[in-house]
Amino acid sequence: MTHSRPRRQLTRRSLLRSTAALGATAAILPSKIWAQEPEKPSELIVRAWGGSWVESLKAGVSDPFTEMTGIRIRHDLTEDNEIQPKIWAAAAQGRVPPIHINWDTTTNATKSALRGVTEDLSDLPNLANATELAKPVGFDGYPMVNTYGYVYVLAYRPEAFPDGPPASWRHLLDPKFKGRIALYNDGIGFHFPAQVAGGGTLADIPSNMTACWDFVEEMKAQEPLLGEDPDFTTWFQNGEIDAACTISTNAREARMNGVDIQWTVPEEGAKFDTDGMWIPVGLPENELYWAKQYINFALTQQAQQVWLDGLGLPGVVPGLTPPADLVDDASYPTQPEDFKNLIRISGQIQVENESEWFSKFKAIMQG
Amino acid sequence: MTASRSQRVVIWILVGLALVVLSAPTVVVLGASLTSGNIITFPPDGLSLKWYAKLAQAADLRDAFLRSLWVASICTAVALPVGTLAGIALAKFRLRFENALQIYLLLPFTIPLIGSGIGLMLVFGEWRVLGQLWPVGIACAAINLPFMIWAVSASAGALNDDLELAAASCGAGRVQTFVHVTLPAVLPGVITGSLLMFILALNEFLVSLLLTDARIVTLPVQIYNSIRSIITPDLAAVSVVFIACAAVAIAVLDRVVGLDIFLKSK
Amino acid sequence: MDGLEWAVDRLWPRTLSRLTPWLMVLPAILLVGLLVLGLIQIADASLRTLDRSTFLMSDSWSDANYARALSDPVYAKILWRSLSGAVIVTAITLFFAFPYAYLMVRTPRAWLRKLLLIALFLPFFIGQVVRAYGWLIILGNQGIVNDMLGLVGVAPLRLLYNYPAVVFGLVQYMLPFAVLMLAPALTAIPEETEAAAGSLGANWGRTLVHVLLPMARPGLVGAGLVVMTLTLTDFAMPAILGGGSQDFIANAIYDQFFRTSDQGLGSALALMLVGLGSLIVGAIFMLFGAGTLAMGGRSK
Repeated sequence: MTHSRPRRQLTRRSLLRSTAALGATAAILPSKIWAQEPEKPSELIVRAWGGSWVESLKAGVSDPFTEMTGIRIRHDLTEDNEIQPKIWAAAAQGRVPPIHINWDTTTNATKSALRGVTEDLSDLPNLANATELAKPVGFDGYPMVNTYGYVYVLAYRPEAFPDGPPASWRHLLDPKFKGRIALYNDGIGFHFPAQVAGGGTLADIPSNMTACWDFVEEMKAQEPLLGEDPDFTTWFQNGEIDAACTISTNAREARMNGVDIQWTVPEEGAKFDTDGMWIPVGLPENELYWAKQYINFALTQQAQQVWLDGLGLPGVVPGLTPPADLVDDASYPTQPEDFKNLIRISGQIQVENESEWFSKFKAIMQG
Repeated sequence: MTASRSQRVVIWILVGLALVVLSAPTVVVLGASLTSGNIITFPPDGLSLKWYAKLAQAADLRDAFLRSLWVASICTAVALPVGTLAGIALAKFRLRFENALQIYLLLPFTIPLIGSGIGLMLVFGEWRVLGQLWPVGIACAAINLPFMIWAVSASAGALNDDLELAAASCGAGRVQTFVHVTLPAVLPGVITGSLLMFILALNEFLVSLLLTDARIVTLPVQIYNSIRSIITPDLAAVSVVFIACAAVAIAVLDRVVGLDIFLKSK
Repeated sequence: MDGLEWAVDRLWPRTLSRLTPWLMVLPAILLVGLLVLGLIQIADASLRTLDRSTFLMSDSWSDANYARALSDPVYAKILWRSLSGAVIVTAITLFFAFPYAYLMVRTPRAWLRKLLLIALFLPFFIGQVVRAYGWLIILGNQGIVNDMLGLVGVAPLRLLYNYPAVVFGLVQYMLPFAVLMLAPALTAIPEETEAAAGSLGANWGRTLVHVLLPMARPGLVGAGLVVMTLTLTDFAMPAILGGGSQDFIANAIYDQFFRTSDQGLGSALALMLVGLGSLIVGAIFMLFGAGTLAMGGRSK
């Protein structure tokens, strides 16, 4: 902790509260409290996605946290999918996990939570201030905390859609888009709107998804490209595709790099999901304590505002202002009516059936 | 070279094609690293060295590069004696169960790298040695060992039993014979193999990804991880610096031992 | 040196000489043994099924993962794609590697030999992933090749994200390995042999078929084996240049391990791939005789 910067000074205790009473607490803090605090580790390792993702996290959460506590933050840029077996193996073998905090998709975090390799976060003080979105669905406590939401929008190049934004996902079946569409390679984000576009209902998920697979079959004839987050940005930038079902952040990234891109939520709806943070089991007591402080800080308005401005995504605390380019944007839902056209399916239904959906999608696309 | 005209034409067409295909990505990456824009493109969008400037400040990349050098050194130090001995043995002697042995020694290539990575992660994890660099070096030696073995046994064509027998009959001991007769004969293979082991370990990312953590991440893993999110021109710049280091190493090698050594087995 | 000889004689008496080759191979066996230890863990996982309500592996063993891998037509398709890919890539790679290695070994010009060697080694330093991105820039819709085609009035062609693109990327990746494996074998063929064939009236085509190729066979088989096994288990090229619909087995294994978290099915697929690869290797050894890789004096 540096005392040379009283303006930004923040104590551990104030971290435990909401940030509102910051200054006052720092002034009256008795030194005794310090003695009760567990020993500070020299650094915490936070798994993060690279590029603008980690830059945003650094600006909004990691750097201010370091400034307040003196604890250095190291970012591990291993993919969320690829760190998972490492954490699971460490837990199974009783080793200290390779990271302190995992910034993860809610779906992947749910798997780890079900497996029992996550620490409970129910005692984070800032949860009291967070919206309902922060709570993971289907769990008693908080084996993880959701930190923001995002939409799998239909991103498109306006040039290719002279009649305005596509009102329906079916629009993509136009023969002129053959080979010019991109989807995630496991079909994530596309299954649910496809279920509606194929004539089915959301209530039938997961028991009857024939409609979804029929629509995917139709889409297969369009020979879509299949990829992951960075691919979408690259493909838009290189003019390989006209439209994609992707997280709005990827489209926004390409737009910021000067590519003309818009996005929309078609009438069938678009998938809404969340990302979150969690702490793997097996950390020493003091490191666990400070890892919790990190996540607690990530739930402050101050941290969320900067972090999520970078990502262009809606957070989980009240009072955030959207970035200028995303006011009233479909990818930045804040009011209940904004959610009307968004599809949200519980993490547990997703993880229990994901493998089946995934192999079905692959079977169609690889066929 | 005594060659007919048609032979020359055919060879040159094929080799020319191969040269273009081998070098094209290198040229493009080199060019893309000089862009002044934010997107990796070729031809570059204006010329600038800004991505190299950004690189110069990235201490983490430099550390990662040094770690990679260390891993590659360990890998080579392990693979060199192990592979040389095995290569000589396979070339010189007719072993029983040789087919089975060959299949076994090819396991590093028939096991998919993801399988090797997961397996080694579990084994090293059980032994509590993860979080250090030397297991990564040993892993790299294991997964690329066939290259070392074959490079040596391929150059064993120059091995001459008569010469070894002569040495022995002149009273040379086994160690002496090995050091003065056998080893020099396979030296080109040993050098080719060692260089390959070093280079491959320097660039290994899939197995290393599972065996390293953020504190000991190596350069290829760092690049791989960064690319997974977004590919920016600084990654092209890293590759160019890498190539430059390689070029210097090759030039030094050429000065010291001569590049021809790869091809001489006499 | 004498002391050393004495120590060696004490530690490894000449009566044990019969076993000397095995002693020399032993370290390699142990090093590869590390991978075998890992393989045992994988074999164990392959016999356990994933419980999706707890994401833990079952305590008891079953063959369910193998049954699923064998019955699902997707895996048959991916397997076929990998296998045929391995054969095609090997054939094309050897076709280009042979003249390359030949020119490198035979040319009297030192600068040319150096140039060819450097061109082989430099690509190693931009890893497979960055290299694949290089190809995206070259072959993309707005890439260099399509730009040039555009100049002569050809509409942009989809050169990427299909099977040929994956094969192309793999050939480029494998070519240096193949040349480096072939070169020593070609060096071992005396130039006079070729000259002799020529002076006996054989044209170079006949010399190639009847003299060069048979004599280079050990090198060709060695290089072919390397290329084939590495292609069969490759992951990066199909992932990046295949556009997601050209998976090889390693990609399917990756998906199970890292995407659906089903280590059991992933392990079963990995083990089946190892079995298949080893079978192919074994078959090639049978076909071309033992000790093909031991290309030394024995096979003369």
